[in-house]
Amino acid sequence: MKSILKELYIPVVAVLIAIIIGSIIMMVTGFNPVIAYISLFLGAFGNVNNIANTLAAAVPLILTGLGVAISFKAGLFNIGAEGQYWIGAIVGVWIGYSFTGLPWYIHIPFALVAAMIAGGLWAGLIPGLAKAYTGANEVITTMMMSYIAIYFSHFLLEFGPMMDKSGTIPQSPVINDSAVIPFLIRNTQLSYGIFIALVAAIFVYWLMFKTTWGFEMRAVGYNQKAARYAGMNVPLNMVLSLGLSGAFAGLAGAVQMLGVQHRLYDSFTSGYGYTAIVVALLANNNPIGVIFAAILFAALGTGSQYMQLNAQVPGQMADVITGLIVFFVAAYRIAEVIKDRLAKRQKKEVKA
Amino acid sequence: MKSWRVVLAFLLILIFSGSVLLSGCSSKTKQESTQPQQTTQEAKNKNFKVGLVTDVGGINDHSFNQMAYEGLQRAAKELGVTVNVIQSKKMEDYVPNLTNLAQQGYDLVIAVGFMMHDATEEVSQKFPNTKFMIIDSEITDKPNVASAMFKTEQCGYLVGAMAGLVEKEKVGKVKGTNTIGVVGGMQIPPVDSFIAGYQQGAKAVNPGIKIIVNYTNSFTDPAAGKQMALTEISQGAEIIFQVAGGTGDGVIRAAQEKNVYAIGVDADQSYLAPDHVLTSAVKRVDVATFDIIKDTLEGKFKSGIVYFDLKNNGVGIGKVNKDVPKSIIDKVNQLAQDIINGKIQVSDKISK
Repeated sequence: MKSILKELYIPVVAVLIAIIIGSIIMMVTGFNPVIAYISLFLGAFGNVNNIANTLAAAVPLILTGLGVAISFKAGLFNIGAEGQYWIGAIVGVWIGYSFTGLPWYIHIPFALVAAMIAGGLWAGLIPGLAKAYTGANEVITTMMMSYIAIYFSHFLLEFGPMMDKSGTIPQSPVINDSAVIPFLIRNTQLSYGIFIALVAAIFVYWLMFKTTWGFEMRAVGYNQKAARYAGMNVPLNMVLSLGLSGAFAGLAGAVQMLGVQHRLYDSFTSGYGYTAIVVALLANNNPIGVIFAAILFAALGTGSQYMQLNAQVPGQMADVITGLIVFFVAAYRIAEVIKDRLAKRQKKEVKA
Repeated sequence: MKSWRVVLAFLLILIFSGSVLLSGCSSKTKQESTQPQQTTQEAKNKNFKVGLVTDVGGINDHSFNQMAYEGLQRAAKELGVTVNVIQSKKMEDYVPNLTNLAQQGYDLVIAVGFMMHDATEEVSQKFPNTKFMIIDSEITDKPNVASAMFKTEQCGYLVGAMAGLVEKEKVGKVKGTNTIGVVGGMQIPPVDSFIAGYQQGAKAVNPGIKIIVNYTNSFTDPAAGKQMALTEISQGAEIIFQVAGGTGDGVIRAAQEKNVYAIGVDADQSYLAPDHVLTSAVKRVDVATFDIIKDTLEGKFKSGIVYFDLKNNGVGIGKVNKDVPKSIIDKVNQLAQDIINGKIQVSDKISK
């Protein structure tokens, strides 16, 4: 119980300070923070529809956040969840519209699993192997692979092989009905994908904390040398954890396509892969924490659209609050590091 | 640690009490202003609510979102209607944003850009009593949706004629290669209609003129636009028409660098390079937005496609370069009259 409280302490304080500073900024710029926050809250949780839309927005964040959290736990910084998301989306949509005549209970799992494999390979194959066997920095490789994935989607959609031939707008055809993950609540964007996200979070928790493999991945993350000394296969664990990380980002792309968009649009970024990093950071890489962190950022997103409408506060204000939360979470960790260093130095001085 | 908590508590109390006071004041003034509710025209217009949803470009995109916003602001000022804007942050926001406006009883909801086609179709079906307007995309089967489409081949024709005449009479920076160029964004109808008009206009006044047409396959890549323009200039083009959005900025820069002319598109782009922009083929999204708001307010809402052309000022030419003599401007104005009178028919199909 005490440890849970301790885990909660940092993110909650960070969020509170961010909200307080956000309200100071709003007051200075001539907005009423109470009205703004009330409309932000109502926009995110005010009625069933808004709650549903918030949860819907949280689904891709939970899944990409899980992906990033896995890699962080294993001591690897997978910054390219955005690209793995796109690859998953491309594969999911392609399977969604090009296979006909499959029953839904085959079509949907087929698309989801294929997207997971594609996302996993995207992260595991090149960045994973490069990291494990040549030491190539995965921050750079995953990031660059992201750009490749995004531009690949442009190639496919802008008069490429995946463009909807019936029109002139750069977008893919609509997926077949048998591949559509049905909506859970009508007139909202919430699909049964939310259950996929929740099950995935529990699965990742079990995998990371209750299995040998998870233990090995975490051990590699804590201390590579010790892990190697203990007889663990460090390169293999690196490839696997990056691959697993990419698989969940890929799953996020496919769930979003099959559940919400139903077709792939030409756009530069979804933003999920980047917000995922923040989600994992706020959750301290805890898979269950990821659910709540994702809902928080999703609520800031849906609420801010409502805030524009009802309090006339520009939507960017929510971005400011998001930025402040990240800053204070990061600042706390920096403070911890500094405290550690100081403590060590003091010890040394005492010894001397 | 404890003192820190005390400070925090004080801050919280201060901010919340302050904002409650503020909110008390503002809600009071609101009540006063709405009290004298008379049945005048003014009050009726004030009760007419127009909401605008931008696509992910936001209202500072120097293009159609911005122009639609200007039209909306003009409606607020001149007609006294109540207006509101939501800027979409990601593609998944389109449906919830349109839905929110419709749910809150907005009389007219405006969706900017073809990217919102699917979202507008979906939401307009759910709210048959709300009027919708979409810019640049055809929705014809909904009784509550008006689609604003622009006859851009007409303004393309005029700038083409001006380019043809400038080449023929060797005005200003033109040396007489009798070659002009086009840099298009993508080979899609909204781009090709401009180019089709340009070709017809140039050929009508200068039958021997050579026209080079290229596409960059991107609307957001100024570097590619510049490269394409430099290639065309090396092939002898002395006037280059850009129909490529953000990519076109590079075209204008190339013209500046090589001291030739560029022709702007969508908005009046003369300000980008006053000496080197010959004129602009202007698509008056602001006029279209204002007109449809006005018609809807006066109960003259028409569903289906509403065309904007030279006759109703929906398209036109922008500021003309000072190098262009009055005789040419007069000729171009005469051609505009002929198009309005129906003496000249401009096709929107490109000739190969």
